Amino acid sequence: MDLLFSLVINGLMLGSLYAMVSVGLTLIFGITKVINFAHGEFMMIGMMLTYIITTYLGIHPYLTLVFVVPLLFLLGIVVQKYLIEPLKDSDEHIQIFATVGLSIAMINLVLMLAGSNNFNTPSSGLRETLGLGAATVLTGQVVIMLCSIFMVGGLHLFLTKTQMGRAIRATAQNRNAAQLMGINVSRINMVTFGIGIACVGIAAVLLSPLYPVNAQTGQSFVLIAFVIVVMGGLGSIAGAFYAALIIGLVDAFAGFYLGSSLKDVAVFGIFLLVLIFRPSGLFGNARKLAHVS
Amino acid sequence: MNNKTASLTSVRGTGSVIQQLLNKKVLLFVTLASLIVIPIMVGDDYIYHIFITICLFAGLSTAWNIVGGYAGQLSLGHAIYYGIGAYTGMLMLNAGVSPWISMFVGAVLAAGVAVAISYPCFKLHGPFYALASIAFLEVFHVISLNWVGLTGGANGVMVPLELGWSTMVFSERLPSLVIVFGLMSLVLAVSWAIRRSKLGFQLVATRERESAARGAAIRTVHVRLYAAAISAGLTAMLGTFHGSYLTYIEPESAFNLTFSIQIVLFALVGGLGTVFGPLYGTILLVPITELARGWLGSSAIGLHGFVYGVVLILVVLFMPDGIMSIFQRYLPTSKGRHVDARDEKSTHHVPLNDVKKSERAPVGEVVLKVQHLDKHFGGLHVTNDVSFNLHKGEVLGIIGPNGAGKTTVFNMISGFLSADSGSVEVLDENGHFISPKTPGAFARSGVGRTFQIVQPFAAMTVEENIMVGAFYRFRSVEESRKVAREIAYELGLSRFLDEEARNLPIGGLKRLEVARVMAMRPRILLLDEVMAGINPADLREAIELIKIIRDSGISIIAIEHVMQAVMELSDRVIVISSGEILAQGEPEEVVKNEAVIEAYLGKEVTDASTE
Repeated sequence: MDLLFSLVINGLMLGSLYAMVSVGLTLIFGITKVINFAHGEFMMIGMMLTYIITTYLGIHPYLTLVFVVPLLFLLGIVVQKYLIEPLKDSDEHIQIFATVGLSIAMINLVLMLAGSNNFNTPSSGLRETLGLGAATVLTGQVVIMLCSIFMVGGLHLFLTKTQMGRAIRATAQNRNAAQLMGINVSRINMVTFGIGIACVGIAAVLLSPLYPVNAQTGQSFVLIAFVIVVMGGLGSIAGAFYAALIIGLVDAFAGFYLGSSLKDVAVFGIFLLVLIFRPSGLFGNARKLAHVS
Repeated sequence: MNNKTASLTSVRGTGSVIQQLLNKKVLLFVTLASLIVIPIMVGDDYIYHIFITICLFAGLSTAWNIVGGYAGQLSLGHAIYYGIGAYTGMLMLNAGVSPWISMFVGAVLAAGVAVAISYPCFKLHGPFYALASIAFLEVFHVISLNWVGLTGGANGVMVPLELGWSTMVFSERLPSLVIVFGLMSLVLAVSWAIRRSKLGFQLVATRERESAARGAAIRTVHVRLYAAAISAGLTAMLGTFHGSYLTYIEPESAFNLTFSIQIVLFALVGGLGTVFGPLYGTILLVPITELARGWLGSSAIGLHGFVYGVVLILVVLFMPDGIMSIFQRYLPTSKGRHVDARDEKSTHHVPLNDVKKSERAPVGEVVLKVQHLDKHFGGLHVTNDVSFNLHKGEVLGIIGPNGAGKTTVFNMISGFLSADSGSVEVLDENGHFISPKTPGAFARSGVGRTFQIVQPFAAMTVEENIMVGAFYRFRSVEESRKVAREIAYELGLSRFLDEEARNLPIGGLKRLEVARVMAMRPRILLLDEVMAGINPADLREAIELIKIIRDSGISIIAIEHVMQAVMELSDRVIVISSGEILAQGEPEEVVKNEAVIEAYLGKEVTDASTE
């Protein structure tokens, strides 16, 4: 019973971490209809930035949010403006290659600059353990869990209550109609891409004290993020959150019962089943695909 | 504008001698020869290695292109088949079996895996298919890491050190180059043959427009499975060779995502879906990165990956059709030949009156029975108890307001939708009534249809579009081409034969729809608003054309809004409104029917007209 409880708690912790990484990806897909294969690399860049700023300025890792998030927001805007936007009328495969190319270039650029070394951001007390009944968790994990709930809730409020949010949702549902209503669609796409990347920037900062970063870090997270985003129904933020918790639980249980090396088979096996039998996601139906939140 | 054309022609003029020499075939021959000759002349081990790498990747990319380019299934997991080939060869070599044999075992295994993987994934398109292929690759990667008893896990497998042709392990490089060059040539030959065969046309048609391909009786799933199996088999053979060449394999390199992406990258840079694009793409990129590595030293890890990534971005932004599109522009093609050879008369637009008319045959027996069709979309009752018969040689017009359910009825009598209840029976060639279920089955039973929203195979020429229809009756490419030209001539499409369908104006596209269906020589023709949006002069021609089709004994059902056409062509008219048959009979009777006028124009108008 204690074991079960502790596995569930660990799964939920892991799940909320995955949720933070995934919401940006699903938001970007929902609006721009582009699957950002470079999403993990933006996170890796965010973690690298966190490491650099923390070690050079000697500040608490969380304080780097004020630098990292705006920087990634700008980076997202630049990528949308100069890479994705020019390809908006191209074939799907061209759009896929664009972000795949971006991903390869970013990984290898970091490899060239920093080699394949691991960088450890100072933990600043965030790796201390907390007892939660039978389970033990890290303080950093609790912060991530709370922040992921705030992030999902905040995005939801932003999309439903603000003028900009409504414009974003309108664009997601019908790009042409939105344009006719005077919405500047290419600006909306830029802002959305920026927000999506900023979200993964927040995730990067919160993750850094807990995980070492190297050039390949993004790859290991992004594959899981794809699984979650497809399971939750591409474009659905709430769906991604629930799917992330499910995958977190699967990860924790499979890790315990199958061993850490085989747990990926369980995760990807579930992914393939979802893709084949419910390509529109576990929670949505095909019509929801174009909608956000 | 004039200046530009003038300067272009002058460039063409001075370059014409060079262009004659730089014929595509000559270029290909020189390229292939130099892949063997240059390393032998230089004699350096490192140069050998580069050329072996070029041949390997050219082969892999070309093999990938069969499924990724022709069939448009964007697989990012092709390393699976490479890995299967490599492991099969390695394990069997350790058991004393020569790679010359295990190569084929690996190919069969990989083809089987490809079919098993692809079958459930064919519902997925674009990014979803790509994601699924990555997920499968990850699964294979993890399995090969963990199935230590078979694969040796993370430690990998080594070849037994036995040199010679039987083990494909050599101390010198030349034999390896000869083998991989041979394999690459085999892959190129297969890819070339597929592109020019019926299978190639069907693959491209399926990629361009799946529903239209199914309408042309193409077994879209089957053809893509063939492509996936062939592609995987060839990839595995190259994998077997490469295992022996490297003398060592491990899961990390055998089932590697970056490796998969590289294969795709070369094909993209060369030109997706072209036969020799992947070859040229590889030849361009591999040396650049190898040389850069040479200049900057091996310390620069990540350099070649960075170059690949940047090249990929630049290519999608500035040259999405690849190198082959540049060749296409500046090198004379063999296509010029058959334009000249074509019958001079057929290249001109011929008025339809010149086409020989046959006497109209009398309307005959029932060829299509539609009974009690019902269809709901959610809570919407789109078709409610629709029944009618079609007779041989008859033209049946279907009219009705927008949203009445006309196209839904069409979809049900051509297999694109299945009815909730009711039946559709078609008289087959042997005089039996059968109930086909799928679009392909309807096509085979002699029902051909056009689409209201035209569905051309955009990247194929007009001739190729019609050929796809003709393939339903002919195996041979040449026969299909001949029939396609005849039909194009009859429909006044001759002057567009070599034009890509995407460049046609809407009137031309509507004709192309009809031409493609006519190439299948259907006995029952379903026309969905072929007259909509064409100009009055063309309308006259189109009406005459349908009369000719009718007179040849083909039964026609036409959904149409253009009343001139409806009145002139139809022997009988059915009016559908809100999913029900409102009225049917002779055209003149039906248009006077009050219920019909009400359905179209509202109640006040009928009241006004009766007062």
